[in-house]
Amino acid sequence: MRKLLDFVLGAVVALCALVAVGILLGLVYVIAQRGGPAITWNFLTEQIRLVGASGGIFWNLIGTMILLASAFVICVPLAVGLALVERAWLRHPASRRALCTVLYTMNGVPSIVLGIFGFIVFVQGCGWGKSWLAGGLVLALMMLPTVTVSLIERLKAIPSKYLEAAAALGLNRAQIVWSVQIPQAWGGLLTGSLLALARAAGETAPIMFTATIFAGATLPKGIRESPVLSLPYHIFILAQDSFDPAVGGKLWGAALVLLALVFLLNLLALPSRLKIHEEANV
Amino acid sequence: MTRALSWFFSLIALVGIAGVVGLFAWQSVPVWQQEGWGYLTGVKWFFRQHQFGALPMIYGSVAVAAVALLLAAPIGFGAAIFTAEYLPRRLRLALKILIELLAGVPSVVYGLLGILLLRDWVYDAFARFDPLSGDTLLTAGALLAVMVLPTIVTLSDDALRGVSSAQRQTARSLGLTRAETIFSVSLPQAKAGLGAALLLAFGRALGETIAVFLVVGRQDNHLPASLFSLRPLLESGQTLTSKLGGSETNIAYGEPKHWAAMAGLGLILLVMTGVVTLLGTGFGRRSDA
Amino acid sequence: MRTFSLALPILALAACTAFAETLKVNGSTTVNLPVAEAAEILRAEQKLDIQVDTQGGSSGGISMLGDGLVQVGMASKPVSDDDRARYPTVKFNEIHIGEDAVALIVSRDVWDGGVHALTRQQIKDIYESRITNWKDVGGKPQRIAFFNKEPGRGTWEVFAHWTYGSPKDAPQVSFPEVGGNEETRNKVAGTRGALSQLSSSWADGKNVFALGIKLDDGTVIEPTSENISTKKYPLSRPLFLLTNGEPRGVAKPLIEFVLSERGQELIKKHGYLRLKDLK
Repeated sequence: MRKLLDFVLGAVVALCALVAVGILLGLVYVIAQRGGPAITWNFLTEQIRLVGASGGIFWNLIGTMILLASAFVICVPLAVGLALVERAWLRHPASRRALCTVLYTMNGVPSIVLGIFGFIVFVQGCGWGKSWLAGGLVLALMMLPTVTVSLIERLKAIPSKYLEAAAALGLNRAQIVWSVQIPQAWGGLLTGSLLALARAAGETAPIMFTATIFAGATLPKGIRESPVLSLPYHIFILAQDSFDPAVGGKLWGAALVLLALVFLLNLLALPSRLKIHEEANV
Repeated sequence: MTRALSWFFSLIALVGIAGVVGLFAWQSVPVWQQEGWGYLTGVKWFFRQHQFGALPMIYGSVAVAAVALLLAAPIGFGAAIFTAEYLPRRLRLALKILIELLAGVPSVVYGLLGILLLRDWVYDAFARFDPLSGDTLLTAGALLAVMVLPTIVTLSDDALRGVSSAQRQTARSLGLTRAETIFSVSLPQAKAGLGAALLLAFGRALGETIAVFLVVGRQDNHLPASLFSLRPLLESGQTLTSKLGGSETNIAYGEPKHWAAMAGLGLILLVMTGVVTLLGTGFGRRSDA
Repeated sequence: MRTFSLALPILALAACTAFAETLKVNGSTTVNLPVAEAAEILRAEQKLDIQVDTQGGSSGGISMLGDGLVQVGMASKPVSDDDRARYPTVKFNEIHIGEDAVALIVSRDVWDGGVHALTRQQIKDIYESRITNWKDVGGKPQRIAFFNKEPGRGTWEVFAHWTYGSPKDAPQVSFPEVGGNEETRNKVAGTRGALSQLSSSWADGKNVFALGIKLDDGTVIEPTSENISTKKYPLSRPLFLLTNGEPRGVAKPLIEFVLSERGQELIKKHGYLRLKDLK
């Protein structure tokens, strides 16, 4: 009887795992199968024509890259600042926990809320109109918790003997930061950033009110009134017209490209994460 | 100098964070003035008549997230038990990486799949209940279930791995089968972490916009008489996120009362996700201690 | 509208100096089709920088023009007094570029079930949920799946204007919503017993079908080009490009192009009526 229960449980959970992985792999397969035929060199290097029915997604890719790059540049100093404050300058464990709690809660904020925040403050309040910078700022805010926490965890992992040795050598806190903590934490910064960028690349809600339009934009000129095209928004708009066969294949192609971009960013973070995992287990 | 810079950047970040909550609270003041608590409990949203009640949307958000959890939790827990308790280290890592990778699929892509596959499937499968269309609360919930599945699996796996293997080994050496070990040692110990996984998945489901927007039907004022009945789930509904992501946000700007109502929705959403996330991370922390 | 063609040479000079500016256009998905294609042609031929978006439909076009976020708005409905009151400093200039009509479209099963026209009263009854099954209007027994256009869509305002006299007098109802023309056609085609409002040129007669309007005396008026151009079909609506005051700078080439022979061919290509088709 007990043996039976053991066997049944084993079978059931194996099945669950199979279903979970199966659904998710099946999803990727469907996209790859439908979008594959649309991926040609032209598709990637041309611009949209005829409201998506022909042409390619070149400027959409560029737009997404611009948004990601600006988000990264804005986010890094903020994340480093926060992480350093938490590790090196806040002494009370209570205040550290408070900071971490704020970060975790911030991570749970729905992206649409951040998007509307950006709309109110940057698009309307600052009078920028739709702007790539507004998108970058909103995405940076969205990325902040992930990058900061990754950095903090990495900083935590620095063996205290390094810090003690540095202090024993007479270095003050700032010098310890620059000579010990930051060099060791680069990995964490990169990992966290890649993961956060992977999420940011796929998000539509933060940018649809702040930074992106459907057609016509190429490279932004200045800050005001300079929207960009983007992959996720492109897919979102076209997703509502899935009956038009002319658009269909290209739509799936765009989805496949976006998926590939997100996977690539995630995979790039993998080696570093595996290394941390190994170190943690030793 | 370094210290000053660090504090400077930190403060910018913190001001930004606080600004989000503060802004929505401040911008939504007019609607609170007009409706008071009625804004939360009101069941009618007719923006032309300046009648704003958020309850149907709160119901929509919660219903959709609840369906997602109900569908995803059993499979998620099962898969996590499998990876945490049955797989050797290498395979477990490989599977975890695979599932986490798939967790990164963008929501607009899920929305696309929802429109093209799930919508028609729900419409045909439930045809004898005569749904209006394939875009229903159930469709959105099912789509969300797939979206939060990786979250549940990853966090539950972490929680289960947090239980010390020494305890497991002791149980096995006492003669318990693997199943019995799981039920009497692993699961009870990992309770807090599993709870946290559910809460965080719930929070993610509450906050999802694009995928829900595309398949939920966007019908206002759909509040069933009985909150726990299943039939209303086959009707189109509206969630806080689908309303915010829709056309009213563009129209409302410039009209104070309407805009305040929209900001109020954002505030409600912030509070709901904030509470759920706080509870979830609180639970998770306790399991670390 | 004729006078500004005389001012052309003068304004052309101004246009030359403004060539580096980007033209931003936003508004109705209905007007978007010919205008987006016109923008593509101008981009290719005259190297003009034109950005076209469709956020918020006609209302979005009007409000973004009013807020100064775009130079040209696209609308499939006239600018209302409310809109003018909301932006007292803006001189909304409606440039008529074509004509379109709003049709009530149904899915194939409804059409095949025998429903080819409705009276205004029947439409009111359906909108107010007094009639909920197709059998009550002459079709096969099937639940009426009515998809209402999003608020702010020109299509909805034209519908409400005709059915109730004014959008303000339309009762508040709660139906599932659809957004642009594409989504509407998509949803109606895929749902049994579906009914919605759509630009008549989008009803392709294969997936979705346009109903005629049955008058009190029993005659049925269908949304054909003939009926729309003679205004016999009551739910016609003008297609506008909107500017703040006279078109200036980079807006001029676009407006001129759309009003030219080639531009008007684009209007026709997408199923709408050209200015010269109107009687």
